[in-house]
Amino acid sequence: MEKDGFQKLWKAFEIIAIGCILFGLLVVLYLIKGLLTPFIIAFVITFFLSPVVDYMEGEGVNRTLAVILLILLTLILLFILWKLTWPTIQTEISNFQKNAPAYSNKIQGGLERGMKLLEKKAGFIPEGVLQKAVQQKMNDLASRTKEISSLFKIGMGLMVNFILVQVIVFFFLKDGRRIKKVLITYVPNKYFETFLTLIYEIHQQISNYIRGQFTDALIVGVLSIIVFYSFGINYAMFIGAVVGIANIVPYIGPLLGFGFGSSLVLIDTGSIFDVLKFIGVFGCVKLVDTIAITPLTVSRSVNVHPLMVMIVISFGAMLHGVWGMLLSVPLYCSMRVSLRILYRGFVGYGNW
Amino acid sequence: MTSSTVSPRERRTMNTWNEILKRIGGKEGNIIPVLRTVPLFKGLTFRDLKKIELIVHERTFMPDEVVFHERQPGIGMYIIKEGLISITKTVNEEKVKVAEFGDGEFFGEMSLLEDFPRSAQATAVVKTELLGVFRPDLFDLLERHPKLGSKILMNLSQRLANRLRKLTEKKLKEVE
Repeated sequence: MEKDGFQKLWKAFEIIAIGCILFGLLVVLYLIKGLLTPFIIAFVITFFLSPVVDYMEGEGVNRTLAVILLILLTLILLFILWKLTWPTIQTEISNFQKNAPAYSNKIQGGLERGMKLLEKKAGFIPEGVLQKAVQQKMNDLASRTKEISSLFKIGMGLMVNFILVQVIVFFFLKDGRRIKKVLITYVPNKYFETFLTLIYEIHQQISNYIRGQFTDALIVGVLSIIVFYSFGINYAMFIGAVVGIANIVPYIGPLLGFGFGSSLVLIDTGSIFDVLKFIGVFGCVKLVDTIAITPLTVSRSVNVHPLMVMIVISFGAMLHGVWGMLLSVPLYCSMRVSLRILYRGFVGYGNW
Repeated sequence: MTSSTVSPRERRTMNTWNEILKRIGGKEGNIIPVLRTVPLFKGLTFRDLKKIELIVHERTFMPDEVVFHERQPGIGMYIIKEGLISITKTVNEEKVKVAEFGDGEFFGEMSLLEDFPRSAQATAVVKTELLGVFRPDLFDLLERHPKLGSKILMNLSQRLANRLRKLTEKKLKEVE
């Protein structure tokens, strides 16, 4: 009896220790989150490209050669895409730069009018307080934009990150399985089978989500650009790209894309007719996405309640900004499946 | 659960293979010779075995250490590289020894096909080195190298068919 009691205590201590180590790891990851960005980008790209490398390997091409060929092909495609779209992007950027002060004035004017009305209606707010706050915020925004306008700095940062990401993607694609195998050797025998199942399930969850959502976002982005351009909507490339990228985030993403697009159209033209046109066109794209694209790309959905998705995304945004929003759902699903497997392995079958 | 042994002829063939591979620069290592002895990998080329080697996990178990528990979900099979494994089953709350496997033998291959609880417990008797092949990795290999995967599945099916035939014959004899 005493021995049983001691064993139970020891097992409880083991679980607490493992929990502490995992929590410690999460804290460390949070502290070095700035350094993690290239790894996260590389991780996502690897999940996206690995089926192509696997296919080439299956056809008899050496894996290293397949990875090199795929990275080269991707770079060439990106270059061609850049060459084809750069004139339009340039025009949109210069138009935006030219019109930026006017947009800023419009937003400021609108906000000031709104605040003035609010001060009047509310009665208890001293006159001019809210208006001054708006003015100050707008000035702060302008000065911040000037601060980051050092294009050379941004360009260098992007180049370093771009090269770093390519190198990490190369090694992840080429040696991903070996790295996983080496890491597994450190797992004690009694947790080995449970850990292996865990890694496989997490891999499935993340890869299904990333491949599905990113393919969907890519198609929606390209479709939006084409449709917005065909209907003569200004900044078609810019809005289409934002709509596509935002589409990666489930539920909230499409709303953000819609909000951004309609606001920009309203600020740009000031015409309700143009906004209605944008709403109609965006609605059509979303309809095509829901009926035809999503069922094909996001075949194995993550099956999480919308409210939970929103809570998880908010947490992701708080912890790691945009990347946190993009990866929070698959991470949540991985944690959910991990708990299920750990419970089954450790408690259900007396593995510990 | 089953067993296999290396005949002197097979050993000679393996040595010849090692010699050839040494000359052309390929490395046989210490896992491939063990894999060659497993009926599941019968008829596979050196290249195929190299691919299997990549998904094999090497584990060392100390005496009395449990490899897997009875009723635990099975996810793959183990090949004994070196050592001794005892298979026990709980009958009326007593552990009964069902079988014992030694060098080159393997057990748990049914788990490669389905997620079914283990029918018995496997425990190392002495310090034992095992090579584990697991279902997720095998399915991944099937997707990447369908030809190789179909060879393995064919070998596995043959083993199961053999076992089913033997069981049917036994049942028929019992009825007669």
